Amino acid sequence: MIGASPSAPACRRTGADAACYRLVVADGIRIVFSDVAKRFDERVIFRSVAGEAAPGEVLAVTGPNGSGKSTLLAILCGLLRPTKGSVRYLLAGGQELERAAWRQHLGVVAPAMSLYEELDAMENLRFFARVRGLEDAENHCRGCLERVGLDPDRRTLVAGFSTGMRQRLKIAQAMLHRPQVLFLDEPGSNLDPDGRAWLEGWVRAEQAAGTTVVLATNDAREMEWGTQRVALAF
Amino acid sequence: MWRWLSEAWAVAAKDLRTEFRTRVALSSLGLFALTTLIAVAYSVGPFRISVEDRPFLLAVLLWIVVFFAALAGLDRTFVKEEESHTAPLLRLSASPHVVWAGKLVFNLVLLALLLAVIVPLYCVLMGYRIELVGAFVVLLAAGGFTLAVVSTIVAAIIARAQGRGALFPVLALPLLLALLVFLIQGTTATAEGSVEAVDASLRAVVSLGGAMAVVSAMLFPLVWND
Repeated sequence: MIGASPSAPACRRTGADAACYRLVVADGIRIVFSDVAKRFDERVIFRSVAGEAAPGEVLAVTGPNGSGKSTLLAILCGLLRPTKGSVRYLLAGGQELERAAWRQHLGVVAPAMSLYEELDAMENLRFFARVRGLEDAENHCRGCLERVGLDPDRRTLVAGFSTGMRQRLKIAQAMLHRPQVLFLDEPGSNLDPDGRAWLEGWVRAEQAAGTTVVLATNDAREMEWGTQRVALAF
Repeated sequence: MWRWLSEAWAVAAKDLRTEFRTRVALSSLGLFALTTLIAVAYSVGPFRISVEDRPFLLAVLLWIVVFFAALAGLDRTFVKEEESHTAPLLRLSASPHVVWAGKLVFNLVLLALLLAVIVPLYCVLMGYRIELVGAFVVLLAAGGFTLAVVSTIVAAIIARAQGRGALFPVLALPLLLALLVFLIQGTTATAEGSVEAVDASLRAVVSLGGAMAVVSAMLFPLVWND
């Protein structure tokens, strides 16, 4: 296993342009999970789930409401521990990334994860950029907000945002550090048709750039983005 | 090291900005402290305690006001992150030690504000005369630091529990009892002008604060991540 300190052999911080926000792991990260089970007290969420997502692939996790899609994503991104089974982040050489280092490579959009309502969009992104130690945070935050269609100069607090604008801001937050693994839990929810079209283009571009994408969705069009699929039963 | 401090300050600055916009913790701390102080000043006042008992009894009342005000507001820092569902993104974005240090700084600022308002007011309303003012200020700083360290780690522990409102004082009080005793002894000594007694109390408070800080820093990643 290796850590993710910038001095670790497979990791490096790159130049001064937008790409400098990417803590690069050569050839991306493959996520492999096997025999994953989760239960909360007596309630079994799922018994044995296995799958794999390689760089440049989109793993679509599907299933009816309550089947555990969001729980599986929370396990895969390290927020929850599985009751049974294993999740591994593998580098090109087969080296395993240690769990504590996962977060540096992840971007997550999920309904259960909120941004700070007492801050405006720019203040939110500036905060996440600073705690991630990103350089030139100001310009990069503005760029991310403009990409998702939000005005960086608007001083409205997130509490006053519509649900669609909140979703756009969550996506901006997820792309902020150019992560090599993206977890998208119902990413198109609350977005208007233009927003959905932009989202599809972004996911396709990330896929082409070698990002590993794990997508939980019930939307038929979003399922089509998937190159691999894991179906959960209720 | 510089980068780590900068990231921790980002967490503290974010908390301070949101707190000054909502004033939830500030209101809890301030209102509790002010109402208790007024109740004590009205019922006991500066003249109902005999002169020889004043240094000790007024020290006891001062720290009771400060401790219970702190217990009323310092748990907000983590509880708010959990209640507003912002904790998962914070977990994914910042290292645990950065979060711990940032939250500690936030609690330190709140406590410093509380002490800066309440202590002078208390001394005036209760006629509490401090002989060793410099030592008293150092004792307040050391006591405030230790109180903030304990509050921060206990707040992190209870944030994901059911019934967290009641849990905070229940878990924090046993950890803070020794501190309370040392601070009362030290404050009594500063009022009496006993340098040796102040020195002993100050050493005990600083040792306790240092030990708590080390244990908290080691324990926090386990509490925060699992």
